[in-house]
Parts: sequence; C-alpha cells; structure tokens
Amino acid sequence: MQVAATPDNESARLAALYELLILDTPPEERVDKIAAFAAAEFDVPIATITLVDTERQWFKARVGTEVQQTGRDVSFCSHAILAPQIMVIPDALSDPRFADNPLVTGAPFIRFYAGAPLTLPSGLRLGTLCLIDRRPRTLDALELGILGTLRDLVVLELVQQEERADG
Amino acid sequence: MAEQTHILLVEPEPMLRRTVVMTARSMGMSQVHEAADNAAALRMMHARKYHGAVVAVGCVGNGAERRYDLGLIDLLRAGAKPGQAMPIAIMADQASAELLAELRDRQISRVILKPFRAKVLLETIEKFGELARKP
Repeated sequence: MQVAATPDNESARLAALYELLILDTPPEERVDKIAAFAAAEFDVPIATITLVDTERQWFKARVGTEVQQTGRDVSFCSHAILAPQIMVIPDALSDPRFADNPLVTGAPFIRFYAGAPLTLPSGLRLGTLCLIDRRPRTLDALELGILGTLRDLVVLELVQQEERADG
Repeated sequence: MAEQTHILLVEPEPMLRRTVVMTARSMGMSQVHEAADNAAALRMMHARKYHGAVVAVGCVGNGAERRYDLGLIDLLRAGAKPGQAMPIAIMADQASAELLAELRDRQISRVILKPFRAKVLLETIEKFGELARKP
C-alpha cells in the first residue's frame, strides 16, 4: 500500500480547513442532500463528502457507511487531493497503490473509487466528494462532468458558510 | 462558430435542475434555461425561441379523474408551423397506455421515467441540440 504524499501547501490547507469550523460538526441537510444525490445519480452504494485532517479523513456527509472517520494513511481521498483533477480508480485491486489497502481487502471492500477534490477559490484542496463501489467500473466524460458539478455545489456550500460566519 | 442552441428545462426538484444546468454549461452543451414550474415556464416561453424542451409532468385530479397535466406541452406545441415543431421530452413517474397514447398525439420525442438521472436529461439535451444544429 502506498501512503499518499503530504501536499506542499499542507499548513495553509489545514489552516483553511480549521477556519471553516466544520470538522466534527453534526450532519447538515444542505450537504447531506448532495451526497445522497450523488449516490443515486451514479448508483453507488457509498458516497461521502470527505475532509482530510492531519491524521484522519472525516466524513461531513456519508451515504452507505456508518463509519465517521478513518486514518489518513489508508485514505484514497488523501491521494485525490494531490491534484486538481477528479481521481478515478477503476479497480483498486489492479492498482499497486491500493491493492493491499485494508479498505480494499476488508470492509467496505472498495473496488471503484472516484474523488472530486473540494478546491477552495484560493486553490487549497480540503477533501473530496467521493463515490465508492464494490465492483470495478469507470466514469465517462458526461459522468465526470456531473461529478464535477456536484463537487462545485459542495464547495459553494462550504464557501457560503464561511461568508455567513464572516458576515 | 455554431449558433448557440437553447433548451427549456421544466423540473421542480432544485438539485436535479441545478446539476443539469451547471453541467451543460461546463461541458459547452446547449444553453439550458430552467423553470421550476409551469408558470415560470410560460413566462420564459414568451421571452425567446427554444430548440427543444424537457418537461416534468405532474398529475392533476383525484381518483378516476387523475391524469397527467399536459397543458404546458399543448402550449409549447401551439403555434408551431407544420414540420417545425421542436423536440420535447417529458419526465413522468410512470407510463400508462393512456399517457403514451396522449403523448403520441403530441409528437413527444422521448419519455423519461423515474428515477430521474441528470445523465439521462443531459443526453437528451445534447441530442436536441444536435438536431437543432443539423442543416
């Protein structure tokens, strides 16, 4: 298993994440509905809005899993936030970075992963809107476009929350 | 440069509507004009020409009188010159034989049934845009 590299801007990234005051907050309908929509649209058993913290990934919204957080070392989303593009892993068992990841060899038995980085206007990537399936699959161009739109809606909610707090 | 095509989307569910509009924009598809209900759609119909429409139809009436409200479809069809009617897709909870017969009379291009997916709506919008751009 390959542990994701730490982003070059990690300090600024974490500062922006903490500034949102969103970690460990209760579920909120405004983002829960986006995760639910994503799960239904892509017909996947699991969809989450994931925020990558220092040592963990924490789920602000989650469909299809009771788990609230996992270690950052096993996190697919930690890889996804290293680049601005949507990261698609068609089959984790065929990818040397993830084949022996405990989230692949054990519950929730991830095979397919797609993570759209939650990029703030500043360019900092705080986490992802991600889709998980237990079977290999991929996304076509239109599906990537839809996932990108849903990600934009999540970012909009995060930024608007920050603006409301500032106002 | 090809002429921009314009599609009318009438859909009450905000998340589905926004997802379709924003994705169509980001992917350079037809410009999608959104209406949350028939009243808004009627106002928009008078504002410009559309090259196609995707319309969610709801039911009116109760019991045996319950039927799909196709009033907006009739208004969209009214005034179209023969052979120049724009393509229309409708979104419905389910398709009864009665509904399908009514839709045939109204030259409906496609019936989209639940669960409604943004991808299906966008594929329909893309196809309507291509039809409009054909010489």
